[in-house]
Amino acid sequence: MTKLTAESRRHLRTQAIKSFLRRFLGHNGAWLGLLALAFFLVLAAMPGALVGPLQTAITATGDFLIPPSTQHLLGTDEIGRDVLNLIVHGARTSLTIALVSTVISLIVGITVGMTSGYYGGRIDAWLMRTTDFFFVIPSFVLALVITPVVLEVIGRGGDILGFRPSLFVIILVIGSTSWAFVARIVRSQTLSLRERQFVERARVVGTNDLNIMVHHLLPLLVPQVAANGALVVANAIYTETALSFLGLGDPLQPSWGTLLSLAERAGAASSGAWWYFGAPGLCVLIVSLGFVLVGNALDDTFNPRRRAIP
Amino acid sequence: MPDAPDILRLENLQVHFPGRGGVLDHILGRPSAAVRAVDGVDLAVRRGEIVAIVGESGSGKSTLGRVITKLIQPTGGRLLFDGDDVTSMKGFSALRPYRHRVQMIFQDAYQALNPRHTVFDIVAEPLRSLRLVTDHTQLTQRVRQSHAAAGLNPPEEFFARFPHELSGGQRQRVVIAGALAVAPDLIVADEPVSMLDVSIRAQILQVLMDLRQQRNMALLFITHDLPVAWLIADRIAVMYLGRVVETGTADDITFRPRHPYTVALRNATPHVRGHSDREKLPALKGEIPSAARIPNGCRFHPRCPLAFARCREDAPPTIEVGPEHTTACWLMK
Ligand SMILES: Nc1ncnc2c1ncn2[C@@H]1O[C@H](COP(=O)(O)OP(=O)(O)O)[C@@H](O)[C@H]1O
Ligand SMILES: [Mg+2]
Repeated sequence: MTKLTAESRRHLRTQAIKSFLRRFLGHNGAWLGLLALAFFLVLAAMPGALVGPLQTAITATGDFLIPPSTQHLLGTDEIGRDVLNLIVHGARTSLTIALVSTVISLIVGITVGMTSGYYGGRIDAWLMRTTDFFFVIPSFVLALVITPVVLEVIGRGGDILGFRPSLFVIILVIGSTSWAFVARIVRSQTLSLRERQFVERARVVGTNDLNIMVHHLLPLLVPQVAANGALVVANAIYTETALSFLGLGDPLQPSWGTLLSLAERAGAASSGAWWYFGAPGLCVLIVSLGFVLVGNALDDTFNPRRRAIP
Repeated sequence: MPDAPDILRLENLQVHFPGRGGVLDHILGRPSAAVRAVDGVDLAVRRGEIVAIVGESGSGKSTLGRVITKLIQPTGGRLLFDGDDVTSMKGFSALRPYRHRVQMIFQDAYQALNPRHTVFDIVAEPLRSLRLVTDHTQLTQRVRQSHAAAGLNPPEEFFARFPHELSGGQRQRVVIAGALAVAPDLIVADEPVSMLDVSIRAQILQVLMDLRQQRNMALLFITHDLPVAWLIADRIAVMYLGRVVETGTADDITFRPRHPYTVALRNATPHVRGHSDREKLPALKGEIPSAARIPNGCRFHPRCPLAFARCREDAPPTIEVGPEHTTACWLMK
């Protein structure tokens, strides 16, 4: 490729990105969502620098269950830890779990959905049967089944790929229950794409199935996957909260769900300690809403016609 | 040319699709008739020859093109390429040498190009997929040559463009450049100019004719337009409902057609005047039937103005009516 064309190619790409951003940021929801997400990503990126190390029963800095004050902006918990400190550290755990499990579910979902839609026939039937199984399986039941296995294999104290066992279980559970959603979307999209004539041309010019899927179909699936991927993250945050609330979380690496669970056990709601459960609850709400807003804006940007009629 | 060896030979080639049947058939449990899209085609294309396939929409032309380019498998008959039986050849690696030698051009170039790929990548795709080049310099060189041969000049102007930034004619040239890149022996072109403006058509046809001249490449040119077929082809095969009903030189088919269907096609074209004694035939009755319900006897008889008893009973054999001129009609017996 000559220098000239490489340059004009880059120029075209910049143009395309610019026009995409212009349309994407034209949505108020996109701004709101991005702001919220950026805020929490900063928290998650450097919790230590913002609020110091995670407080424990020994390093707790306050009295028990005191309401928000200038010293403890979000009050303290039942053993005197600063809730703000817990929340900021919880952001890291919650977002990590959500994003890692989303990546898993996207990889599995895209692979299964594309294979299923592209090959059709018997492969499709079997893969979709499997997908349906994972689609309806309740995440909590799956967690109950997987937890003892994982703990048996790696032991309670060990870690696996850098995650503590209980967090690993949560990631595994969310990953395996949410890919089915992605697989179904990708499959239906692939079904229509594979009928396009450029796929036929690709076959005539000798491109193999794998390359057709990777180079021809995948780029056209990106918009749909991106828009729904944001919804998958929102769902992952929610599932993580629910699982942790039910006691699957790791008290040494508390997520927002774990905090809610602790608050519930400490009787925060009945004793009027609204800051204790309100703070993590609000965080979950804002972050999932943020992802939903970004997802919807992406969807609108990629498929402007779909929502034209209110 | 008439003594050149065959590059492609079809012997009683068939493509039957399993019939889906209507809702009623389904409820009554009736077996639904297969769609006999290609139903016993005999045809030969010589090296460097341009053969046009002419016929109404629904006569199985595209299916014939798709089976020759191995996008679908034949359900019967034989497909010979350069003397080798390739009928049942399938699978990506088995087909690689075939893809190297047989390429295709499509009716709607816009649909045939991936909207996310640049022109360079589109034209380079066959070379990369079939691993015909070893390095990038060689790749660029071949891509540039193909651009030039397809009339995309200067080539570099087009490398970074996307299909939607091109005109219809340029897009079809991109498809042609891609097909040329591998230097095939045969190109199947399925109605390559029917979606183009009349002013562009002649240019694209010229590109194809030049290619044959320069590279001795055979072309199977599918069209529903008899004058276009006459313009580009050495020989024409007229197809009706899955079968070839008449073959001959472009001049014979256009000006001295023998089969009533060919005559009707010719008479439907205002500017072609011939010397056929059947000039005064009435126009065709009705429409082409579905390939799922092919009439018994001669498949053309329900619409034929000259049909007689025998036509309803037996299918006519293919009869030689002159040098390089065959037709399947009982009137010739
Ligand atoms: N994949 C398919 N499945 C079932 N029937 C088909 C398929 N492709 C083509 N046909 C049928 O085969 C017949 C011939 O179609 P086609 O080859 O497209 O004709 P033409 O290109 O001459 O218009 C039509 O009746 C069409 O409905
Ligand atoms: Mg057609």
